[in-house]
Amino acid sequence: MPSFLREFFKRNGTGMGSLMLGLVLFWTVGLIILPQLSMLDFSFRPNLPPPEIGGPRDVYTLENYKYLIYGPEGGSQDYNAVDLRVFFRTLVAAVCVTVFNLILCYPIAYYLAQTKGNHIRIFALMLIIPYWINEILRAFALRIIFGETGVLNNMLVGLGIFDTPFDFIRNDIALYAGLGYAYILLMIFPIYNVIESLDRNQIEAARDMGASWAKIHQRVVIPYAKPGISSGCTMVFMLSAGALAAPQILGGPSSLWFTQLIYQQFNDNSDWPQGAAYAVVLLVTCILLVLAVMRLFKVNMGDIGK
Amino acid sequence: MKRFTFMRLSLWIYLGVFFAYLLGPLVIMSATAFNSPAFPRMTPWECLTFEWFGALFRDERILNGIWNSILVGAGTVVLSVAMGLAGALMLTQIWPKLRATYYTIIIAPILIPGVVLGISTLVFWDRINRMLGLGADSWLSNGLFLTIIGQSTFIASYCMLVLVARLQRYDMALTEAALDLGATHAQAFRKVLLPFMRPAIASAAVLAFLASFENYNTTTFTFGEYPTLTIELAQKVRYGITPAISALAFIIVVLTVIAALANEASLRRKELVAAARQKATVAELESGRLQLPGFFRSNWAAAALVAVACVTVAVAGTAALYSPAQCIADVQEQKRLEAEQRIQELLRQRELRRQEQLDQQGEAVPAPAAPSGSSSGFGGAFAPGNLSGSSEAEPEAEQEPQGNSSGFGNVFDPNALSGGSEGGGAGD
Repeated sequence: MPSFLREFFKRNGTGMGSLMLGLVLFWTVGLIILPQLSMLDFSFRPNLPPPEIGGPRDVYTLENYKYLIYGPEGGSQDYNAVDLRVFFRTLVAAVCVTVFNLILCYPIAYYLAQTKGNHIRIFALMLIIPYWINEILRAFALRIIFGETGVLNNMLVGLGIFDTPFDFIRNDIALYAGLGYAYILLMIFPIYNVIESLDRNQIEAARDMGASWAKIHQRVVIPYAKPGISSGCTMVFMLSAGALAAPQILGGPSSLWFTQLIYQQFNDNSDWPQGAAYAVVLLVTCILLVLAVMRLFKVNMGDIGK
Repeated sequence: MKRFTFMRLSLWIYLGVFFAYLLGPLVIMSATAFNSPAFPRMTPWECLTFEWFGALFRDERILNGIWNSILVGAGTVVLSVAMGLAGALMLTQIWPKLRATYYTIIIAPILIPGVVLGISTLVFWDRINRMLGLGADSWLSNGLFLTIIGQSTFIASYCMLVLVARLQRYDMALTEAALDLGATHAQAFRKVLLPFMRPAIASAAVLAFLASFENYNTTTFTFGEYPTLTIELAQKVRYGITPAISALAFIIVVLTVIAALANEASLRRKELVAAARQKATVAELESGRLQLPGFFRSNWAAAALVAVACVTVAVAGTAALYSPAQCIADVQEQKRLEAEQRIQELLRQRELRRQEQLDQQGEAVPAPAAPSGSSSGFGGAFAPGNLSGSSEAEPEAEQEPQGNSSGFGNVFDPNALSGGSEGGGAGD
């Protein structure tokens, strides 16, 4: 038995120690690492009926990844234009949602963190309450508002801004509003946590030195809040790129989110390996993007989730 | 000074817009639960009704979904709080070189898209199932099991974060003291560490249950035979929405508001009591005659809680007594009148169009029609034009008498021949 394991059991007792170790191993290995590896392995296999699994035709292949890039074999196009376009649109839209959320949430997080008083607690309650309500119901609420005969259209037509109802759903405005709405709290909370620990005197000092309002934020607050901003952005980006409910409910008929393609492969086409390959592509691309941006802004992985 | 007030004003406008974006959808959705049209909408407002709540409680699938959600939630809370606690304890004593890697692994599920977690859970346990040679209906491919496992993967990370925050304030010397005094490791855990961790465990459990209750992305791949409430809702919302869903949303909103206010009120109360104790003199404390502040004094949350509770009771009472039948009947009557008016309008327009057509045709048609009419007793039965016009003209035949003042006029009217065409055919 290695020395650190012996020490671990001495410290926690044999019974408690093995219970703890068992739970942690089950979680990290059985629930996190092995399923991901298994999905990766699965994505390199052909789609076979159950009796043939493990048989001679069950060999590793790049077919599923080729399908995403080149489309079906013998297809009329050189590239799988439909799926690739959906993939890039998903990434670009997720970046846009993240930036929109950051712009919307930074001022409110700063205000909440730097102001004291009773009304701040009311604001905090008002922030949290929408997040106790189902994700589906939140999307449903936005659909009531953005629908053809929805409140917003009735208001705009009533005020004479538009002559005819504007189709927010077909133009994806409802989708972006819904995605932004869904993850506001995940952006506010990390930024709030960091800014709350910022000493107010630093801001006062900068003001006394004659720094303008914009300079204070640029030189004092934002550098200090960088870990919070980056962890908020990471979470919002990953979650909106991986969102499924909002695109299904608020997306127009033509706009498919990449997760919807994965869902289709699994549930409609019953092509699990293909779906797994798409999921791997989504996961790897998102992780690489986040790591690249973190490298760009010089943030550590350990800051996430604090 | 002017700049200052401008900043203030823009701040308040910003806050207003922000909270309108945040809360407006919920308010509007709740309002649609009380409007009578079958499509959830707020404008035009028709009738105050409570029938959608009745429709909700009669919906078997929703009730079944709630039950499944509670089962899944209970399993997820137990599993993920246990794993989160073990993970948090492990983080405090793990070998320093492994620490960063370990932290990355247990924090990763928060960032992995839920869809990916659902797929990997499904694929992995399917493979285990096949390796063990179990059938398709074994417990390893059971929807309940897969959903709990899949959700716990990332909910345990949330729990771990909550628990670590509290654990950092724990003095390990306390456990060591208990051990020195002869407690077993299990006793030291149960009697020293666990009581200290209890508030954090409670909030982790609440967080885990809420996260499990609202999860869609992971569950949609794993639910199998056990559709949770979220899955049922998503299917309903995708294939046609009714105000019954708004009614459910309203109930959830009210429960949430009450829970949040109750929590806030008790926190406030504790603070006030602590403040009063601090201000009290020693004599007051010793004599036990300390005046503790009343529950409602300077506690806005408690007051708001009572107000919300009163409103809820009032609404429920109204729902029991109020019947929207009269209003709905009125609205239907009004709609019927409107529809009738629209029909009348349509008829009139049609009449006008026909009249115009008649004027145009009146100049062109009679010329060929007149000779044929004179040569045969069957009138225009063989006239080339009349068959084409017959199908369109028939519905209007009833209105004929109004349009034509003279009996003779009918002969020369091309439409009039349509009525004769069938008779002519039979006569042959």
